[in-house]
Order: sequence, then structure tokens, then C-alpha cells
Amino acid sequence: MKKLKPRTLAMILAGGRVDELNVLTAYRPKSAVPFGGFARVIDFPLSNLMHSGLEQVAVLSQYRSYSLINHIGSGAAWDMLGRYRGVSILPPSKGYGHSDWYRGSADAVFQNFDFIQYHDPEEVLILSGDHVYSMDYQEMIDYHREKDADLTIACLKVPLSTAHRFGVAEIDDEDGERGGRIFQYKEKPSRPRFDWASMTIFCFKPKVLYEVLAANAREDDSFEFGRNIIPRMLYEQRRVYGYKFAGYWGYTRTIEEYWQTNMDLLGERPRIDIEEWGIRTNLEHRNIRDCQPLKVGNEAVIDDSLIYNGCTVEGTVERSILFPGAYVKKGAVVRDSVLFFNNVVGRNSRLDKVVSDVNVTVGDEVRIGEEGPAADKEATVVGWNNSIPAQTVIGSDCTLYPTLKPEKLARTIRSGEIVR
Amino acid sequence: MREHEKTLVLLLAGGVGSRLNILVQTRAKPAVCFGGIYRIIDFSLSNVMNSGLTQVGVLTQYKPLSLMRHLGTGEAWDFTGRSRGVKILPPRTGSKDSDWYKGTADAVRQNIDFIRAHPSKEVVILSGDHIYRMDLDDMLSFHRRKQADVTIAMMVVPREQIHQFGTGITNDEGRIVEWEEKPEVPRTDLASMGIYVFDTEYLLRLLASDREATDFGMHFIPKAIESDNVFAYPFHDYWRDVGTVQAYWEANMDILREDSGISPEAWGIRPNFEADGRPADWPPARFVAGSTVKDSMVAAGCVIEGEVVNSMLSPGVRVGKHAVVRDSIILHDCVIEEDAVVDLAILDKRVVVGGGAVIGSGDRDAKPNQRYPKHLYTGITLIGKEAVIPPGIVVGRNCIVEPGRKDDEFSGREVASGETV
Repeated sequence: MKKLKPRTLAMILAGGRVDELNVLTAYRPKSAVPFGGFARVIDFPLSNLMHSGLEQVAVLSQYRSYSLINHIGSGAAWDMLGRYRGVSILPPSKGYGHSDWYRGSADAVFQNFDFIQYHDPEEVLILSGDHVYSMDYQEMIDYHREKDADLTIACLKVPLSTAHRFGVAEIDDEDGERGGRIFQYKEKPSRPRFDWASMTIFCFKPKVLYEVLAANAREDDSFEFGRNIIPRMLYEQRRVYGYKFAGYWGYTRTIEEYWQTNMDLLGERPRIDIEEWGIRTNLEHRNIRDCQPLKVGNEAVIDDSLIYNGCTVEGTVERSILFPGAYVKKGAVVRDSVLFFNNVVGRNSRLDKVVSDVNVTVGDEVRIGEEGPAADKEATVVGWNNSIPAQTVIGSDCTLYPTLKPEKLARTIRSGEIVR
Repeated sequence: MREHEKTLVLLLAGGVGSRLNILVQTRAKPAVCFGGIYRIIDFSLSNVMNSGLTQVGVLTQYKPLSLMRHLGTGEAWDFTGRSRGVKILPPRTGSKDSDWYKGTADAVRQNIDFIRAHPSKEVVILSGDHIYRMDLDDMLSFHRRKQADVTIAMMVVPREQIHQFGTGITNDEGRIVEWEEKPEVPRTDLASMGIYVFDTEYLLRLLASDREATDFGMHFIPKAIESDNVFAYPFHDYWRDVGTVQAYWEANMDILREDSGISPEAWGIRPNFEADGRPADWPPARFVAGSTVKDSMVAAGCVIEGEVVNSMLSPGVRVGKHAVVRDSIILHDCVIEEDAVVDLAILDKRVVVGGGAVIGSGDRDAKPNQRYPKHLYTGITLIGKEAVIPPGIVVGRNCIVEPGRKDDEFSGREVASGETV
């Protein structure tokens, strides 16, 4: 008989303040950033968990967690609601032993260790809520069990030239394509010698996890899995294994990377196939379930784009992604752009390589971004709740802070400018 | 607190709608898909919700399974909670006069126990068959202001359609002074929309007064206007009885136009996504390079590689390269393969149109369907659920392909206009 109580507890690291993605993370954690025309970044790990049959989940969140709490709701969207299924949000709390603001990813888990003990799992799967990929965690857990590992890390081979951006490991050839033992690991080394990057997906034995977290809390002054916990475990000669992953992994720290990951949703055979991956989101959030189908006008042109319900297109949309509530008026052209919820693009305006946060209204005859091939310029990013006056001209590689007074925008904004 | 919150609503959802032909072969008329992501009954249910009414009984009879699944707990329309609820009321046997529902009044009479169990000053009775937006709260206020026993929502309809309705003549204060049910020679253009507000006590007395009478419009209203306070609540906006294939097609096309007066999202109409079993799995609609889309609605989950013009696409429809969909309604998960053409047709769910096949070929002004000349005569071709049209087949106008037909059931390369497979 199938054991009802889950063997694995999953914990998603979703709440750290990250100095990434510019103004898109000004009011939300990275995991709550919209992605894919209807979803949020965290929907990718959540959907992966659902498809892997791991439905007892905790979300560790600290920075501006309202948008995230709202998004996760009851967890029913990912079928995580039931006797042995659930999503618990674990914000920082006061009043117990060493409770406080989370001082790092490892500290966040350590402060919630009572939650882990209560569930008494066979392994704890800790993963970042910030990445776009599709993975069957169960296969990794099987490997972890097979190896009787203390820690198994999912790793992706990256070019040595970019390895300095990641935590990188050397994996031996114990199981060929599948994985192997890790004896060396360096967090963001300036001169990397290994090219297996950690995907921030860790499978731990709970007992070992507790021991190393407790030692970390006692002895160190930094509390990160990559910088502190993995090196500590290697030093202590624990059984650390690398599980080799070969699929797509969307790692986005800059606007340019975020934009590129969005473009991977497009094309005849998109690298990110959200239907094939079975990505689910919470349709209650922002009430997108009540949106009517996309309405396409008489003069509309739509080419190589992804558009969800609730949009209206009367102008031209090329190589772009439109979230619910986007309205592209007649004569407007939206190219190589990503428009979040409730954007309005006025008549005869032109957007070239723009990432625009929620509730942005672009007046008539506005120009944003230089014309020409997308590869030749950087994206302009518009923070949320902005209203761009008619006939404004804005260059490429600009940043518009959220909720600006319209008079700050009533001028020509040259490429590379930052408007606060 | 809203004044009319406790008012009981009875939604008559038993309609067969047989003129919709194969669209109602497996579902009742209120459960027929409409506007890409809705079902017809969503309009009535959302009107009830948006009017702040929270107690609903849904009277079903004909093929109720798809309807019951669609209603679910009623959560989609906010009908769950301490003082809220939606109940399915099918016909029952066991008590003295229970049987199949014989008419609107009979259906209500058989559920008198439900009315008594939900005491309220008025009962709102409406049908789940129509496409419109109405503030029932305002109609209730009108009813109270007029101190009416019954208030009937009425609107002006074109002369040529009036014979299908109950009709009334009103005086200056809105009182109905004459009534004719489905008149052959109409004397008025004011038609009943089948929406009634009854004083509960009055309704119970009325139903008891004549136990043979089974229909409100036919039996009770003509008598009531003589002795009681019967008022017409005037309605002027968009309202359609999408009971025929042509009317169903036209109302769908109305949503595509800006000036038609119908806008489900602006009206606050809510669908129930969960009921279709794929709650949130539909990704955004994907338009591949080289596709053309104009004057259309395209729901999430569609993948468009070809051309879509003046059409309504439900979730999950795939239009292959160089395929053309024109003036058509395509329901969930249909696949239109490369080089196929669909012109002036309604495709039920999960139809596959093989490569190079043509649905709707030839002069649109072709002869009517031979088997159902009264259902299909305007050129529209109907393809039933899960039919598979073999590659290269040519289907004419006013044709019917019954649900599930495939391969060798198509003899030859052509289905001539007016034929049925």
C-alpha cells in the first residue's frame, strides 16, 4: 500500500532581497516576478514539485512577501491542499530561541527546523524559487537515496567562461551521465576550475542538515548554503553528491538575462515549452480567471508572440509577451517586449525591447527604445504604476523607477538614463 | 447590508434547446459553450452574483451532467459560504405529485419545499438560456416600488420574432393590461424575457389555485393580469435567446465587434475554469511567426500558425500552417491541420480537421440541410464533438457531421451541401 504521509519535505527559498532584476524587484521578491505571459517565476518550482508528486511544501519568505503570499493562496492551484498536501508560508518570527530576521538562506532553514522536525521527513529538498526550468525532483531523490548521500546537489554544466557567476563543483565519474561524488566546490570563484554549476537544488538528510546548520549558526558569521554549508560538509568529509541535469535552466540576474529568458518562450519550437512543462499558476491571483479571451482587432498584426486572456490587440505585436490586461491600441507597435499585467499602449506608440511592469500606461505617439535589431541594444525597463505622457521619447537601456510623477517623464530621455 | 441579499433565486436550466441540433446532443442548452470560455448559463449565474443575490436553486432536467459538473460547488460565482449556496434541483419521484417537470410553473411547484426552506419575501425566477446583463437588484426594487404581485422583465423585440414569446401590452404606469402567449398575429412588440419576480406568498397561492396549470406564461399570467398587480420591468440593452444555430453564431460574432453592446468581461461574467478539468494549465495563446489573426477572439492555450479571421476560438485550439479559419466558432481543443479551411462553421469540442480538408465549401447561399431544414439554412455547417474529418475531404454548406464520425464513415471525397454524415 502506498504510504500516504510524504517521505520528502520541500522548502522553497523565496524571500531574500536580491539586488537583481533592477526595478522589477523593487516591490516583490524575485520569485514573484511575472514570467511567461500569465505566471510567476515561483510557478516553475511549484509546478515541478506538483509533477514530481512532492506536495508538502514550505515557502521561506521574508522580503515584501505580500505578493507571494497572495499568489500562493491556499496552494490548491498546485493541488497542494489536502490531508498530507499543503503549502506553508514561513515568514521570520520572534519569540523563540534564535528567531530573528533571516540572516541568510541557511539561517532561514535553521530558524524553521522545528517545522522540519514536526514533519519528520526522510529527506529535505531545499530549492530556490528564482529559476525557470522543468525537472523531475523524484529522479534526483532516487539518486540521493541510492547513494545514501548526506547532500545531493543538482548541477548543470556551464561554459568555464561564465562559471565565476555560480557555485561550481567538480563531480567525479562514479555514475557517468547521472552524477557522482563531489570533493571540491567553490562559490563564485574568480578563476573557476570546475564547470558544474549548482542549480540551488539541494537534497539533504535531515539529521545531517541539522548538525551542519547548528554548527554554522554557532561558529560562522555568514549563513548561506553555497558559501558556508557546502564547503563545511566537504571539510567534514560528508557524503556530497552531484546530480547532473541536462535540460534548460533559466538563470536571470540582469534585465538582459530576464529578457532573453522571455524570448526563449517564443519561436516555432520554444526552448521553454510551458504547455509541455505543465506550468500552473494561481488564477485567483489578480482574478485572471475572469478574463475573456484575447480580442484581436481589424488592423491587428500578431507575429511570434505569447498573449494570455484579457488582452486586446488592435495594433502590431511582434516577438513579445503580453500578460492579462494588456491593451495595444490602433497603430501602436510592440516589438521584442514583455508587458506585465494591465499595460496600455496608446495609439501610434512604438515600443522596442521594453520590459514594462504592471499598471503602466503609455500615452499616444510615445517612442520607447531605439529601432533596429534587438541584439544591438539593451532593454529599457519601466517600473510599475507609471503613466508616460503622450509623445515622450525614451531611449534604450533606460530605467524608469516605479510610480514616477508624469512631469519627470515629459521630456526626451536618452539611452542609458535612469529616471528616479 | 444589501436589502435583497436573502431573496431566493430559481434558475430554470432544464431547457433542451433542440434547435441547436448536435450542440445539445450531450448537454442541456444552458451548458452550451459560448464566447470562447463561457457557457450560456454563466450569464444568468453571473447576473445573479453581480446583483448581490446569494441563494440559488438550479432546476435541471435534460442531460444535466455537464451542467452539474460546471456548477460544482458554486464557488466560481461566490455562492459558497455561511449564507450562500447553489443547489441542484432535479425532478424527483416519491411524493404525491412529483414527476418530470411539465413546464415552468410545474417545475417551481415541485420545488415548493425548497422555497419554504429558504424563506424570503420574493422569489426571482429566471431561465439559464439567455445572453444578457441585468441588475436583478434594480428589478427587485422596481417590484417593491410598484407593490407588485408579479413583475416580468420585458423588452421590445423585432416583429418577425415576436411569435416566439409571451407578449404584453402595458399602460402608462407599467402595469400589464393584456397578455398573449406566442401570438400568431401580434398586437405588440413587447416580449417577456422569462424573468419573473414573484411575491413569495402570492406565488404559493397562485400555484395552489390551479393544480392543472403547468406554465407561467401560458396559464397563470393571463389570469393574473385580470385580478392582480402584474408589472412589466422594462429592459433596453443587449439580450439574445441563442436558441437557434444562426442566433448562436450571430451572438458569438457580436462579441468580436466593438459596437454590438455585448462584452462578457466588462459585464463581469464569470466562467468556471476548474470544471473543465484543466484548471490552470492553459498557457497563453501562442502565435507563431507567419500567422495572421484579425477580428477574432483567441483563448489561452491556442497555438496559431495559420490564418484566423472573424472567428471565436475556445482554449486549446490549434490552427496549423497555411490553414484558414474564417467566420467560425471553434470549441475547445480542436485541431485544424495544415492547409485545411474552415469557413462559416461551428466545430464542437476536440474535432480534428485533417490536412487540406475543407469545411464549408461552395456558395454560402446553398440549399438547407435535408434532414433539419429548419435548423440549418443560413450556410452554417455543424461538426459534432470529437469528429475526425479525414485529410482532403470537402464538406459543403448547411452540413451536419454527427459527433465522433471518422474515416470510413465519410464515403468518397465530398459531403455535398445539405447532407448529414
